[in-house]
Amino acid sequence: MGHTVLVCDDAIFMRTMIADILAAAGYEVIGEAETGAQAVQKYRELKPDLVTMDIVMPDMGGIDAVREICKDDPDAKVLMCSAMGQQALVVEAIQAGAKDFVVKPFQPSRVLEAVQRVLG
Amino acid sequence: MDLAKYAALFVSESREHLQACNQLLLAWERDPEATAPVEGLFRAVHSLKGMAATMGFTPLAELAHRAENLLDAVRGGRLAVKPEHFELLFRSVDELEDGVSRATTGKGLRAEAASLVKALDAAVKRGERGAATRGAKGAKGAEAGEGAKGAESAKAPEGAKDAKDERPSLDVKITVRPDALLRGARALLALRKAEALGAVSRVTPQVSELEREDFDGRLAFRIRTGAAPSEVDAVIRSAGDIAGVAIDLASDEATVDATALRQIRIDLARLDVLMKLAGELVVARNRLVELARGSTDPELVQVGERISRLVGAVQAEVLEARLTPVREVFDRFPRVVRDLARDLGRQVRLEVEGGDIELDRAVLDEVADPLVHLVRNAIDHGIEPPRDRVKAGKTAEGRLRLSASRERNSVAIRVADDGRGIDRSKILAKAKADGLVDAAAETLADDQLLRILSRSGFSTAAVVSGVSGRGVGVDVVMTRIRQLGGAVELVTEAGQGTAFVLRVPLTLAIVRSLLVQVGAERYVVPLNYVSETIEFSATPVTALGDREALVIREQPVPTVHLHRLLNIAGAATAGRRPVLVVQVGERRSALVVDALLGQQEIVVEPFDAPRGMPGWFSGATILADGAPALILDAAALV
Repeated sequence: MGHTVLVCDDAIFMRTMIADILAAAGYEVIGEAETGAQAVQKYRELKPDLVTMDIVMPDMGGIDAVREICKDDPDAKVLMCSAMGQQALVVEAIQAGAKDFVVKPFQPSRVLEAVQRVLG
Repeated sequence: MDLAKYAALFVSESREHLQACNQLLLAWERDPEATAPVEGLFRAVHSLKGMAATMGFTPLAELAHRAENLLDAVRGGRLAVKPEHFELLFRSVDELEDGVSRATTGKGLRAEAASLVKALDAAVKRGERGAATRGAKGAKGAEAGEGAKGAESAKAPEGAKDAKDERPSLDVKITVRPDALLRGARALLALRKAEALGAVSRVTPQVSELEREDFDGRLAFRIRTGAAPSEVDAVIRSAGDIAGVAIDLASDEATVDATALRQIRIDLARLDVLMKLAGELVVARNRLVELARGSTDPELVQVGERISRLVGAVQAEVLEARLTPVREVFDRFPRVVRDLARDLGRQVRLEVEGGDIELDRAVLDEVADPLVHLVRNAIDHGIEPPRDRVKAGKTAEGRLRLSASRERNSVAIRVADDGRGIDRSKILAKAKADGLVDAAAETLADDQLLRILSRSGFSTAAVVSGVSGRGVGVDVVMTRIRQLGGAVELVTEAGQGTAFVLRVPLTLAIVRSLLVQVGAERYVVPLNYVSETIEFSATPVTALGDREALVIREQPVPTVHLHRLLNIAGAATAGRRPVLVVQVGERRSALVVDALLGQQEIVVEPFDAPRGMPGWFSGATILADGAPALILDAAALV
């Protein structure tokens, strides 16, 4: 069975797209979250192998969510989804415990490369 | 040889060593079996002794020598370290610190130093006698076991403690692929991967530089690791988008010294002067640019532009040279917290984060005192005694978090405890009694609470915590931070804890600002607090409580009509007036002005507000045309 993934983004569009890319490659998307707070809660419930995390979300942003998740589980594998020009935020996210990042607009091959790197 | 010219260097370097001593002592106290802190302490005290002796400060050298003896006895296994030894060493470090300052003014040590010297000697003798009766077996070597975990080696793999120092050092250079996105973040990932293999040091550029969009993709660092170079190479490449990795066995200390020579120490006062000159240059540049704008001489325009760019570059360089990691201030706190916790009978775990974040030296210096106030408050009034905490279902050990983070053009420094929180009802009652709030008020919001606490003279000590005697000093904190053009935020919840957030600008000297007109007057609003500008008439008006508010993206933002607030006659009455939305933390307010006059870099001039002047201003400046203008304090307007 493929690895399980939790997809966090406040835009349905982005969630759908990421989920499609991952599903096509054999990963199992077992949950979605549209706020940072939800992401933390769902991580606790679902214990996914991987989390994709948007940076800017309402009700706790992605960086704080990473921090929370990694506090519970230092081995959590979180992949940040950032936009161009968010270098400082991505740096902060990595310091908070994120394991890798991809930059929007997404190229499926890039996303999958990053996912494979993180799941190592 | 004229020693006087080395005095400043002696002082600054000695302080660095003593600062390190404090850190090492704390690490050692946490884990008395660790050997790395003892070694580090020994080296630091030894260096200090040598310097003091060279300078002819004999009593200072003598005290260092005795402390070194004690450390050497522990190091050599002739003395088993006990809690009283830590106390003795902490006191020695304090005394040495004091002695360093006094020595340069020609004074000897304080009287206490003599008793300290005796106590150190006695401790060594007692310990050695004890060790002798226990037989030749070292007190230390045998029992150190696998638990050895020094402060710096926390991240190192479990290897035996002695082997740790023998692991080779590798100099690593990484290049991120030029076409990679967010190269700084990618470089950081590679660094994080490497850190899993060993102890990383000498990271160039600093991690905070990786946030810059113009980061060139090259990162170098040194790693002490048991892993083979090929392994290090593979792990770094696993970060992805890595174009090249070069790994060399680090050459010995000699080369280290050679690279160190490329740095020189500069007197801070000299940097201050440079900064001031750069500031005046900016003002003169602004004037020149204005003149050139009105001129038809193409050569003047060209020279104006060139000078403008050059001045910008000079200013940026000087600013850069003044940036200092907040660690310099944060590093004091483990010791402060330890001492306070002990004196007040609390158990406190201090967590520090964001020490790499950089701030202008002058801002950092100004922030240090308010931080000490807040940390002291957190331990004195916030964190409960262990027994009360356990009764309340908390851990006996309280948590104090000190963190720094970068936000656009400012830095947020947070002091958060998980203590009892501020008692709103008591403050409310007191504030009602003092007539500070409406007698009908039922509760206080966090920002109201902060405003009341920061009124000087508001007697809080007895009210907040039952600990009487010392005032809380929130007013002091507030005043200092506001003078910096910063803002203070308070979040507190009964039983859960209290957090203060200090937001300060990255630098004091030069501030990008928006120039606005109200009536015939011009005012300056620092840009780092302006989140957007809109037009008054184009925005729906609503009411928020009894205040007028604008609806901005479905959120009501209260308005402040500056001509009313500042009592300016002849202001335009209606029509399409511009509005500045200022934001400080979560709070926003919409400033209605008569006209926006454009951006300008201003140099903040020291400002002593006359008594009775309303507190809407944080400073003054000279504009490009030579006229003075007041700087509006965003924090006071939201």
